[in-house]
Amino acid sequence: MKKTIVPVLLALFMLLSVNAYAGSSSVTPQEQEEVHHEYKEKSITQLIDSFYKTTGIYSFVNPSDDIMTAEAHSEDARPMTTFEQTWGRLIMFGIVFLLFYLAIAKGFEPLLLLPIAFGGLLANIPLAQIAGEHGMLGIIYNMGIANGFFPLLIFMGVGAMTDFTPLLANPKSALLGGAAQFGIFGSLVGAVAIGFDLQSASAISIIGGADGPTSIFVANRLAPELLGAIAVAAYSYMALVPVIQPPIMKMLTTEAERRIKMPKQRKVHKLENLFLPILILMLTIVFLPESAPLIGAFAFGNFLKQSGVVERLSDTMQNSLINIVTIFLGLGVGSKLAADKFLVLDTLGIMIIGLLAFSAGTAAGVIMAKIMNKFSSAENQINPLIGAAGVSAVPMAARVVSKVGQEYDRSNVLLMHAMGPNVAGVIGSAVAAGVLLSIF
Amino acid sequence: METNVLMESVKFMFLGMGVVFLFLTIMVYAIKLQAKLIGKYFPLPEKKAQEVNKPQNVSSHMAQKVAAITAVIHHEQQKGNE
Repeated sequence: MKKTIVPVLLALFMLLSVNAYAGSSSVTPQEQEEVHHEYKEKSITQLIDSFYKTTGIYSFVNPSDDIMTAEAHSEDARPMTTFEQTWGRLIMFGIVFLLFYLAIAKGFEPLLLLPIAFGGLLANIPLAQIAGEHGMLGIIYNMGIANGFFPLLIFMGVGAMTDFTPLLANPKSALLGGAAQFGIFGSLVGAVAIGFDLQSASAISIIGGADGPTSIFVANRLAPELLGAIAVAAYSYMALVPVIQPPIMKMLTTEAERRIKMPKQRKVHKLENLFLPILILMLTIVFLPESAPLIGAFAFGNFLKQSGVVERLSDTMQNSLINIVTIFLGLGVGSKLAADKFLVLDTLGIMIIGLLAFSAGTAAGVIMAKIMNKFSSAENQINPLIGAAGVSAVPMAARVVSKVGQEYDRSNVLLMHAMGPNVAGVIGSAVAAGVLLSIF
Repeated sequence: METNVLMESVKFMFLGMGVVFLFLTIMVYAIKLQAKLIGKYFPLPEKKAQEVNKPQNVSSHMAQKVAAITAVIHHEQQKGNE
């Protein structure tokens, strides 16, 4: 019985597929005709010549004025300059390969850097228009970055991954996460000083929060034209946390301070963990509804995790969903690494301000920790290194703190202590984002 | 004009840092309050109940041991006396 069904089904499928073919060819007879119409006999040299004109070598050697930039919104396109079509692309290839090197050989946040860098590689391919409205990168960009959707999904996943226990055990450490937001507002002044207008400066300075999703979210609202450079700066600095932070941390602390051991954290009741996302969301509703999209998504993810009854959903958020979105977000951000968008003066300014913002945030966190030590008793001293984790790059900043701490005392495990300011930093930068959004 | 914009950004800074610290400070106190309330009304699982009970357990345990040891010593001494 089964043996007869299979061939019958196969035959049916074949018939259907043939029909589908017939249907598709009958829909576009015009197109075929046109092609037929234009075609003239070509000699083999002509064929080779016309093929050569579609190669990357040709477009590199003979830049032309009517090649347009690839834009996710086709109306933004402008003719590419000769530099962008030639050396610009090569420089970008160089930058992309540097990013590959950092991600693979040095292990700097490969999860972010590799998709971004590869997106950049694809975006710089001549003629293919991969970053254009109908190219893969352009589609991804329009799907979730241009409308600020991916950042919220990431926040949801980060919420589902975040364990607030260290913060609950030592709530005071939240203040370190607040101090690190000085990176945002300090660099705001800096960005204005070098000539950005207030709104662009606000969008750029949010890089100091060291929070990629928040940066994209804010840039999208305040200065969409700078979004690409801001996202690239935010993510590359997040990836460079292990390079940027340690020298600043070491500069601002003495060796004795770096060796401070912190007491074991108290046990935290399950209910405290369960109520915290609701509590944070309530505070947001009362004070800062502008931050609610970000904090709302974060609280949602965290609440599902802590509820303990929707293991499957929280598991999806913190694994499959966030991984998928990370791939898309990386490629989409990478599309802005195209030479025509990246190799402009604004980008340079943004990269410089971003670096300052990041350093200022780190420094402010460490200094705040030292100030807090002045006011607390000898047994409640905190290791000032954990202040650096106040920038919200979760959990890289905390890991860096732990690593630096162990350089000086192998038995000193600061990771859990650093997670407190780290998650507070996420909330802090979302609050800061809300303040900036409320101004404009 | 330039200085004006700069002043403006400094104002943003004060507003921003103020709000961030205010928000987090309130959060810190809310967390502390929450911990107190939960510790008071739901002390069962592993928090205060155990913390309070443990020392008692330990001390009663110790007392039993001490009693046992003294009993043995007493016994041995009596043996020796005989």
